[in-house]
Amino acid sequence: MINFEEELKKFHPSLEVEDAEEAIYNQDLTDAADLLVKMIKESEKKEEK
Amino acid sequence: MFCYNCGCHLSEHDFCTSCGADVSLYKKIMCMSNRFYNDGLEKAGVRDLTGAINSLRQSLKFNKNNIEARNLLGLVYFETGEVVAALSEWVISKNMRPEKNIADDYINMLQSNASRLDAINQTIKKYNQALVYCNQDSKDLAIIQLKKVLSLNPKFIRAHQLLALLYMDSEQWDRAERELRKCVDIDRNNTLTLRYLKEVEMQLAPDENSRQTGRRKKDDAVRYQSDNEIIIQPLNVKEQKSAGLSSLVNIAIGLVIGLAVMYFLVVPAAVSNANNEAQKTITDIGNQLDTKTSRIQELEAQMAALQTENDTLNQELQGYVGTDGTLQTIDSLLAAATTYLETQDVTQTAANLESISSSVDVDSTSEAFQKLYKTLLGIIGPQLSAQYYETGYNAYRSEDYAAAIENLSKAVIYDETNKDAWLSLGNSYRKSDDAKNAITTYDKIIELFPDTETARSAQRYRSQLAENTAQ
Repeated sequence: MINFEEELKKFHPSLEVEDAEEAIYNQDLTDAADLLVKMIKESEKKEEK
Repeated sequence: MFCYNCGCHLSEHDFCTSCGADVSLYKKIMCMSNRFYNDGLEKAGVRDLTGAINSLRQSLKFNKNNIEARNLLGLVYFETGEVVAALSEWVISKNMRPEKNIADDYINMLQSNASRLDAINQTIKKYNQALVYCNQDSKDLAIIQLKKVLSLNPKFIRAHQLLALLYMDSEQWDRAERELRKCVDIDRNNTLTLRYLKEVEMQLAPDENSRQTGRRKKDDAVRYQSDNEIIIQPLNVKEQKSAGLSSLVNIAIGLVIGLAVMYFLVVPAAVSNANNEAQKTITDIGNQLDTKTSRIQELEAQMAALQTENDTLNQELQGYVGTDGTLQTIDSLLAAATTYLETQDVTQTAANLESISSSVDVDSTSEAFQKLYKTLLGIIGPQLSAQYYETGYNAYRSEDYAAAIENLSKAVIYDETNKDAWLSLGNSYRKSDDAKNAITTYDKIIELFPDTETARSAQRYRSQLAENTAQ
């Protein structure tokens, strides 16, 4: 049986157009490739030491 | 695919031919990103938009520079009504690849039409407002708001789902199912939609079973949806054999119902109208009657007043008119004249004239009447005056002053030039201690007969009286 109150908590306010700019700036764009490059560079630094 | 270290184009080898960097893992990550992109593309193709969003986001987690995946993600967001999310993805995509990017077209499509962008923004605001209403337990307002949202943006999945949830809460299962079906049409594999739909179908299941049983027993029906209406068209409906008879019966029933309606609705209304008109007519007549009654009463009052006046005048006239209809005063005057001409009886004539003067105002009579009256009076006046003077003087001599005054007054009336009568009258007043009338009489003598012995005597008596009165 669906609980209305509980289900209602799953709905969040939608972003308005004015808020789009802020949402874009705050988006975390770090991807797996970035992590890999970072790991490789860190390992290279360790080897150099 | 380019080397993460030097940016050169990578070959089929697991190292960069330019800088020698190991790119095996990097290549696998890029491949994973592309695989998720392909998966997302397939899912979007079959309208599994939720699955497509998940795959494309995974693709971007492996490679944020996967422009195709980002553009497609924006497109899928846009299809689900999440316009701001779509716009964000396209803006990022355009930022990453400013040239030859289809995201540029998408952004221009939105930005070129200001009214559409404004409508989208209004839709989002209304949705947020509906959510506020829900939290405030104003569910009816929320439903109204969500209907407005969906009229502006029919593909807004979250609005459909929230509306369905509200319908489910108010146990309007059919409406909830309708909204959820629309969600499924847009996004076939949305978990929330499917969960709600399952709940709705469970609630509707007993009715469906009973309907199916009923249908099997009777006839099958074709159900289809037109906009928001579910049309149920029965099939295999057989015409009854006695269709003609039933039609006649139906027509008869219709006629009976029509007559009943006429009897119970139309006739009372018509009767009521007729009664109202009759009542109005009666009222008008009553008003006219009142007016005429008051007029009659007024006329009756006038008539009574005139009748009274007429009676008074008749009574007055009766006083003047004799038994043969001749005016009594004229008759009396003629009688007096006849008596004088025949008998030369001054006394009788004087009595007749006195009778006339007592019964009528001689000055208001006709000119002929006055002329005859005065002529008679002028003829008999001196003789009468002499008679009254003699009688009055004798009374004066015998000190009967009252009788003297009475006769002497008549003597001066019948002959104003009778000096002796005037003087005797004044003396009578003086002797009877009526100083006021005595002085008036002496003044009259002085006025009428100036420079005479009588006037001098009157003056002397008057002076004495004046002195006595002053003392």
